[in-house]
Amino acid sequence: MNLSEVRDLLWLAITCYGASFVMGMVKTRHAFPTFFRESPLILILAGFVLQTRALYFRGMEVHGCPLGNGMERAQFIIWSLIAAFLLLRLVWRINLLGTFCAGTSLLLGTLSLGLKNWDTPYWTASGYVRLFKDPWIELHASIAIFSYGLFCLLAVVSLMYLSQRQALLSRKPGFLGPYLPPIQDLDVAAMRLLAVGVSFLTLSMVVGAMHWTRHPELVSGAKLSVTTALWIGYLILLAMRLNNRLYGSRFAKWSIGLFALALLSLSMVSSKTNKQASYSPNLPLLVQVLR
Amino acid sequence: MSRPSDHSLFLLGTSHQVANLQERETIALPNDSIDSFYKGLVALPGLKECLVLNTCNRTEIYGSADPAFKFESALEFMANFRKLDLEFLTQKTYQRTGAEVVRHLFEVASGIDSQMVGETEILGQLKKAYDEAYERGATGKELNRLFQKSFQAAKWARTHTGISKGQVNLGNVLCELARRIFGQVDQCRFLVVGAGEVAESALEAFKSRGSEAITVTGRTFDWCPLSRRKPDELAQKFDGFTLAYSKFHESLHLFDVVLASTASSKALLTKEQVERSMKKRPAKPLFLIDASVPRNVEENAARVDNVYLYNMDDVSAIANENLQSRLAEVEKCRLALSKRALRLWEQMRAQPNLPA
Repeated sequence: MNLSEVRDLLWLAITCYGASFVMGMVKTRHAFPTFFRESPLILILAGFVLQTRALYFRGMEVHGCPLGNGMERAQFIIWSLIAAFLLLRLVWRINLLGTFCAGTSLLLGTLSLGLKNWDTPYWTASGYVRLFKDPWIELHASIAIFSYGLFCLLAVVSLMYLSQRQALLSRKPGFLGPYLPPIQDLDVAAMRLLAVGVSFLTLSMVVGAMHWTRHPELVSGAKLSVTTALWIGYLILLAMRLNNRLYGSRFAKWSIGLFALALLSLSMVSSKTNKQASYSPNLPLLVQVLR
Repeated sequence: MSRPSDHSLFLLGTSHQVANLQERETIALPNDSIDSFYKGLVALPGLKECLVLNTCNRTEIYGSADPAFKFESALEFMANFRKLDLEFLTQKTYQRTGAEVVRHLFEVASGIDSQMVGETEILGQLKKAYDEAYERGATGKELNRLFQKSFQAAKWARTHTGISKGQVNLGNVLCELARRIFGQVDQCRFLVVGAGEVAESALEAFKSRGSEAITVTGRTFDWCPLSRRKPDELAQKFDGFTLAYSKFHESLHLFDVVLASTASSKALLTKEQVERSMKKRPAKPLFLIDASVPRNVEENAARVDNVYLYNMDDVSAIANENLQSRLAEVEKCRLALSKRALRLWEQMRAQPNLPA
């Protein structure tokens, strides 16, 4: 285990998230000694620090925001998810949200690190253009990915909503039902997360559009369509929720479905850009990935 | 400096463990006689400290005494005070001394000796009994220390074991379900249709959690066939409001929790009526409780989005399941409390003058 090695650090971070998830689940049913009571949160914090260090090292390697391949994007989304959770926790405590976030991070993180071909060393390709070239794109990318983190948190909250709803409809105490937050609190949390996520995504679209108007040749039609469709999708979701056209379980299912689409759209973008990065030295990778 | 011997600390008491309801009623002290009971008790020769715990399920005297104190004198005093046969009282009471008293008190305080295992009401009653005895000057160093430690032990047991997890009282189960739906129960607008016993139990549970918006309606305000209590009397008892039954359906959307408990032979709420009211509050959940047999709410009303319908079978099943999980924790809790009790007793013997 090398604490300067990006993948080792990321594995360690994911292990911390995994341990937090297990301890959080055990804590719901069994009393912990006072000393260990905050251990799930401490493990999340430890994982977050390790992940930040790993992404910093990768950023130094690629000379930019590390969002060039599937593994980096997944890790950045996890990082944003945990950051959003920790920020949210300062103002609003939601039972088991940390445990669910840790579980999601464990799942997504293991998948991204386990699939070797997700972590192609694009920065070693001949003709790779360093990414600090355009700060607007860096800003656009990081805001967009942070909004993805918020949408990931929205999906987690929606999953908790559906779990609580299912537990209530089953009319049995269930394993998690009594410990999950109230269904109305989850609904309110989901709506606020959606509003904040849409705001960040809109900001990222504005920043991206400023660059696009100057260099339209750098943006492929497919990528532009996917990103715009996703943005419109979340905007419609927000509008329908605010008008009470979509609420409750259907809103939760749409939130999860839309996030799954967002993840899929990212991978679509990824496969194209890697190819272009290898053969088109004049096209910065992130420009293609994130617009 | 005298060390407490095994017999210096004693307990004389009765509870649901040894006496049935009727027997407990004859032994229990009427509230207006507690003063005179204390006066007679403290006058017993050799008794240094005493505390009386008198609840609907148990009557217990905790005491600390000189070696000269005769245990039988307390029994005789109680028999005389309640005009009971001494033999009957001996049969229907238990006596403990020394470490056994500490262990028993820890079990009582934590609720594992209660009829409803894990209930928390007993701790409040114990604290009240201690306050009363303390104000009367009936407790001293030994009982003060013992009771302070028992409160700590109770807190420990509730935090570290599962004896209090899950509600077991029907009214509390309903409150817990409302909490899982709405969060704060005191913010829920609660409507009761009818005035049965379940309705009253639920009202008590909601009221004790700070619920202010309580409304009662009934098909007839003259006579409720389930409890023979007028709905407006029930509303008055819980500082609630009454609603004319003719306005019930059109006002349904104004309430978060609706409990139907009437003797009506046909459904009072149909799926269509629930759907209509949900259109006026689409994003807000509705918690429907059907406490009637035959049922007052159409079963398919549960299919409406954001509606959570429970009948009494569902609520009872949850209460029973919670009770089973509490019972599974009792032995674990008893063992841990026993160790704590023994440790305290050894400390009391080694350092009798240590303040509580």
